[in-house]
Amino acid sequence: MDDIIINNLTKDYGGGRGIFNINLNVKKGEVFGFVGTNGSGKTTTIRHIMGFLKPQEGECLVKGLDAWKKSSEIKKFVEYIPGEIAFPDLPTGTEFLKSQAELLNLKDMKRADELLKRLQLDTSANLKRMSKGMKQKTAIVASLMCDKDILILDEPTTGLDPLMRQTFLELIKEEKAKGKTIFMSSQMFDELEETCDRVALILDGKIVNIADVNKLKDTSSRSYKIEFNNVEDYTKFKKLKFKVVRDQQKYNQVTVQIAQSKINSLFEELTKFNVKFVSEVKFSLERYFKNFLQKQGGGKNV
Amino acid sequence: MFSKALFKQSVKANWIKWLTVTVATSVMLAIVIIVLGNLAINDIRDALKDVFIQADQESEIKENSIDSYNLYLTSLDTYSMFNFLGFVTTSYDNAVAEFESENGTKPNEQQKQEIMNQVATQFSSLFPTQNGVTSEDVKQVLITILTQHENGESLDAIKLSMENWYYNTVYQNAYKLQIEDGKDEKTAVLNATFAKMVATDAISKYKQDASAEGYGYKRDDYLLIARSYINTKMYDNTYNLLKNVQGVAEEEARQYAVATKVLANTSISTYELWINEYKNAGDGNVTEEQKAEARRLASESISDQLPEKVAEALTELGNMDMYGLIIGSIFYRIAGLLLPMVFVIMTANGLLAGQVDSGSMAYVLSTPTKRRTITVTQMVYLIFALFTMFATLTATSVLSVFIAGGNNFAINYAEILLFNLGAFLTMFAFAGFCFMCSAIFNRTKYSLSIGGGLTIFSLVCTILGLFGSQVVPSAMRINAMDYFNYLSLITLFDTVSILDGGLSYLWKFGILFGVGVITFIIGIFRFDKKDLPL
Repeated sequence: MDDIIINNLTKDYGGGRGIFNINLNVKKGEVFGFVGTNGSGKTTTIRHIMGFLKPQEGECLVKGLDAWKKSSEIKKFVEYIPGEIAFPDLPTGTEFLKSQAELLNLKDMKRADELLKRLQLDTSANLKRMSKGMKQKTAIVASLMCDKDILILDEPTTGLDPLMRQTFLELIKEEKAKGKTIFMSSQMFDELEETCDRVALILDGKIVNIADVNKLKDTSSRSYKIEFNNVEDYTKFKKLKFKVVRDQQKYNQVTVQIAQSKINSLFEELTKFNVKFVSEVKFSLERYFKNFLQKQGGGKNV
Repeated sequence: MFSKALFKQSVKANWIKWLTVTVATSVMLAIVIIVLGNLAINDIRDALKDVFIQADQESEIKENSIDSYNLYLTSLDTYSMFNFLGFVTTSYDNAVAEFESENGTKPNEQQKQEIMNQVATQFSSLFPTQNGVTSEDVKQVLITILTQHENGESLDAIKLSMENWYYNTVYQNAYKLQIEDGKDEKTAVLNATFAKMVATDAISKYKQDASAEGYGYKRDDYLLIARSYINTKMYDNTYNLLKNVQGVAEEEARQYAVATKVLANTSISTYELWINEYKNAGDGNVTEEQKAEARRLASESISDQLPEKVAEALTELGNMDMYGLIIGSIFYRIAGLLLPMVFVIMTANGLLAGQVDSGSMAYVLSTPTKRRTITVTQMVYLIFALFTMFATLTATSVLSVFIAGGNNFAINYAEILLFNLGAFLTMFAFAGFCFMCSAIFNRTKYSLSIGGGLTIFSLVCTILGLFGSQVVPSAMRINAMDYFNYLSLITLFDTVSILDGGLSYLWKFGILFGVGVITFIIGIFRFDKKDLPL
């Protein structure tokens, strides 16, 4: 059985707000990404998985247990980093971690110490005076120190500097390597692209697409964007038998897709043209969803 | 059902608030009890009470003076009539002689009785019928006298036996009136003896006075004599009584004696003035009702002379318990509740709604802790904090009462313990209510404005209601303000009933406890079922 199953989940807050008929399955050991704009329903979905909200329709199952009815039991194998960081009214980060360990019935703080070292976090600071990044790190430690099977993260990298973000993403990859099931939401495509097996796009409370990142990152072919200095070369090049995936006549630009084995033949041909520049176009989840939405005709900004 | 870690968290989050409120309230309480205790705030009340006690005594002294004055004069009247006993016997003799001349024979025993009856009836109306002597009495006495005369006794012997009969009658009558008035046996005997003495002295004065002999007695000649006699006697009585009382200096006894003499003199003059007034208005006749009215007017005290409302207000002020008001109704029901209320409002909100609103509750709920465990733990903490707070206040108040004089203090240990219990139960009810609001609402602003708002509303109503309640003297009371008391939960903390020694505060305590229990339970159940935006 899959670790997280969401069946037909609906919570209508009225006025088009809420989530509607969400269906998701997260397999054991899978890293599942959840992307969408502010207010699109990411957090609401996560709150249902955590058992904080009662589904209007449908259900959430975590390891086969109803998340609402067995809310406290599922926490035995679920770790959570909330989207909004607010700590209990305690003086220092150390006190908070100690209290949290007590609530988790956790005796061994070895893992916590290790995480603190990795994130370069000094928890003796006053909780109220911590910077957003420090708070986020504290929240990450509080959540990860227990080593449970399922990890649920609500926009975990907000507030982290780029270096720390990288460290965090490495941590996630390590957790993934241990075989943990991870469900994370984010507004940033690149970090999901880097870590996730699958990514769902949620718009206005509905899941519009689920992308299989591994399949999309097709490594056998490459794409190149080429701009010519004049229109003649541009029209001449287009007549050659290359697969054009994008054509921008206005700028004399074409984007061609070519099998890795045939790259040399492309560059041989290009020597005959007056080329302004050539650049490789890497795979991007952002572009993938943008393309998808354009095809849908919505053209909404993501 | 209970989480030690969460309990510790709550203690750490709230202990500074707890300490501040507990220390501040304890200090206030100690000041109220100890400092005000030394200021003797009940002095005003005691002074007023003295005034009213003295007013009662004043009335009594005046009444006694007037009664004794009247007794003195009527004794003279009565004795003067004894001079007419010769007329009575002569009339009888003449009647018998007439009977003989008419019928030719002496009257037999039964006929003699009839003649005696006629003569006695004729003369009985001449004798004064005061001090318990009725005309029927007089008639019976006259018949006895005529019988004695018939048996050959001398006029002087008859007079003497009459005198003794009169003294006894005065004594018996005075004793009867005193007992009817609710006086104890000793006082009644004392006053009856005094009355008999007045009668005796009056008659001996009459005997000494040659001018009064025969038919020359004039009542008006004796008015001043009677008054000065009574004045002297009142002075002597008071002085002799106080002289033997321990702790009263001779000078003081003399002062009181003079004061009594003055009262006697004033009342008798006033009485005479009224009697003259009635006499002039009624062509020389004064009815019994008018005499009684004159006596009442002449013996009025300060409180009788004040307008009824003012007298009532002053009486109430005299009976008011300043300590009960300040400690019970102002400290325990208002001032002492304010800071614990602030603590309860803030803490109850912070224990649930505040944590849901900020989102920090997510950390607790992401551990295998049930919602029920959270609510029960937070409830236990809130009750625990309140309990320790009031345990400290109880210790402070008991210690303060001990310092202020222990059981001699205006408020005893039992009352102070009940005050603390009542305040605790009141706060328990508010804690339950605020906790319920905290459990129902996800937003601090709603939890605070409804839970805290209604709690403070209750307090404000109690403050306003104080001006309409029985503890405020009627001179300052605005009865309409009493309606505010019906809007406040604190009204169920009935300090007046505790001080009165009644038991109605007990069922009110029960309601307060019930309100607390029910609201806590509603809060716990509601929190289990609601959506949490974490």
